[in-house]
Amino acid sequence: MTFRVLDPTPEKAPPAGQLAPRLDTLEGKTVGFISNGKEGTKGFFGHLDRLLREEHGVAKVVMRTKSNYSAPADAHIVAEIKTWDAVISGIGD
Amino acid sequence: MQLSSRTYDADNIAAVQELYHSNGWTDGLPIVPPTADAVQACLDWAMMPPDQLIGIEPVRGLAVTAEKLAINAVMAGCLPMHFPVVLTAWTAMMQDDFLMHGATASTGGCAVLVVLNGPIRLELGASGGFNALGNSDRATAVIGRAIRLCLINLMDVRPGAIDRSTLGHPGKFSYCVAEDEEDTTWLSLAEQRGIPKEASAVTVMAAGAPRQIMNEWTTKPEEILETFAAEMRANLRHYSIHPGNYALIIPKQLREHLQAAKWSKTDIATFVHERARIHRREWAEVGKGAVVRDRGDSVYPAMESPDQLLVVAAGGPAGGFGAIIPPWLGNKSHAVTMAIGACVDCEPPKK
Repeated sequence: MTFRVLDPTPEKAPPAGQLAPRLDTLEGKTVGFISNGKEGTKGFFGHLDRLLREEHGVAKVVMRTKSNYSAPADAHIVAEIKTWDAVISGIGD
Repeated sequence: MQLSSRTYDADNIAAVQELYHSNGWTDGLPIVPPTADAVQACLDWAMMPPDQLIGIEPVRGLAVTAEKLAINAVMAGCLPMHFPVVLTAWTAMMQDDFLMHGATASTGGCAVLVVLNGPIRLELGASGGFNALGNSDRATAVIGRAIRLCLINLMDVRPGAIDRSTLGHPGKFSYCVAEDEEDTTWLSLAEQRGIPKEASAVTVMAAGAPRQIMNEWTTKPEEILETFAAEMRANLRHYSIHPGNYALIIPKQLREHLQAAKWSKTDIATFVHERARIHRREWAEVGKGAVVRDRGDSVYPAMESPDQLLVVAAGGPAGGFGAIIPPWLGNKSHAVTMAIGACVDCEPPKK
C-alpha cells in the first residue's frame, strides 16, 4: 500500500532579518552590548568591553540589560540601537 | 479549498515512518501518516479552511495555519474530534502572556501542560480519573502529543535547535489532563478563570514536571494543604524563587476531605498562598548560600496572589496523593485559558 503524505513543516522560511553593513574598523566606534542579565554575562561582557577598547580602539561601549531574559529586548533598548555603530547580543547561560 | 502542503509518496508504512524520522519530524515515536483525507477531515470538523491563520508567533514572526496544525495533529494520533482542542490550545499558546518562544526554547526545559474543562471532555472520553497525569486515555494522550509535534515542526522546537532544554521532562511527550468535574463540588478551573460552565475550554501553562505528595493521615484541610505547600516551598528552595502560576492536582481521596469541610478552590488558594513562601536565607541550607547576600530576611511567595494557583480536581479514586506542578520560571509565562470555538479577535456584540 502506498501513501501520499503531507509535509508537517511551514515550508516557507520565516521573514529574514537583513544584515547591517559591515564596519571597516572598530576604531573610534560605539559598540552596544545587549545582555540577557544572566550570571554568565557579567564576566563575558566585562572581558569583551576591555578587549574592544584596549585592543581595537573602540571609543565607547554601552551596556544594556533586558528586563526579561527569556523575552525579546525591551523596546527602549531596541530604539537605542540606531545610535550605536555595532551591537553584540549574547546568551550567557 | 485545496491543501497546499508539499506531498511525498512512500511505498509502505515503514517507509512513511523512515521519511518522517529521517527529516526530524517526529518525537521519536511512530506517527500516523498525515494523508490529505485525514487532514481534511480535521479541518472539516473544525469548519476551517486550510489557510486559516491561527496566529503569528510573536517573537520570530512565524505564521501558523490550520492546515499545518492539522497535519501534526493527525501525526500525533488525533481524530477530527480532537482537533478543536489542539487549535484552541495553540491559539492560547500564541498569546503574548504565554511567551511561547521563551518557554519552549529555555534551558529550564518545561512542557506545555494542557487542562481540559467542560462538556468536550465527555465527548472525547478524556478521563480525569485513574492515572490522570499519565497515560489515562486516548484523547489526552494524542492532544498532548499534538502540542509537542506542532512545536517541533512549526517552530523548530527540536532538541539542540530552538529547544535548548538542559533536561526537559517526560511531559514533553504529552502533558494533558482533563479535570474530573463530575466527581467534585468545586467550580472547574475554567469557571474559576471566567469561562461559563456550559463552554468547553483549555488552559495552557508552561510547566515543570509534577511533584507528587502523600498525606493519608489526616482529614483536616489545613494539614492536607500544608503538605502541598511544603512541596511548593521545596520547589522555591531547590529550583526557583520566581512567583507565578503553580498547579495543584487534587485527587478524590484528599478532595473529599476538603469538600466535606466546605473548602472551595478559592479557600484552598488563599491558604496555600499564605503557606507557600520562603525566606531567602533558606537557600543557604540547600547549597545556594552564594546568592543569599544581604537579603536573607526577604520573603518569597510561590504566587503573587491566590488566583495564580490553578487548582485542578483529577486523579484516581483511591490514594492520599496529590501533586504540585511548578511553573517554568515564575511570571515570565502566564497560564492562558481560552474557550473552545470562541472567536478571539471578533468584534464584540453590538448592544
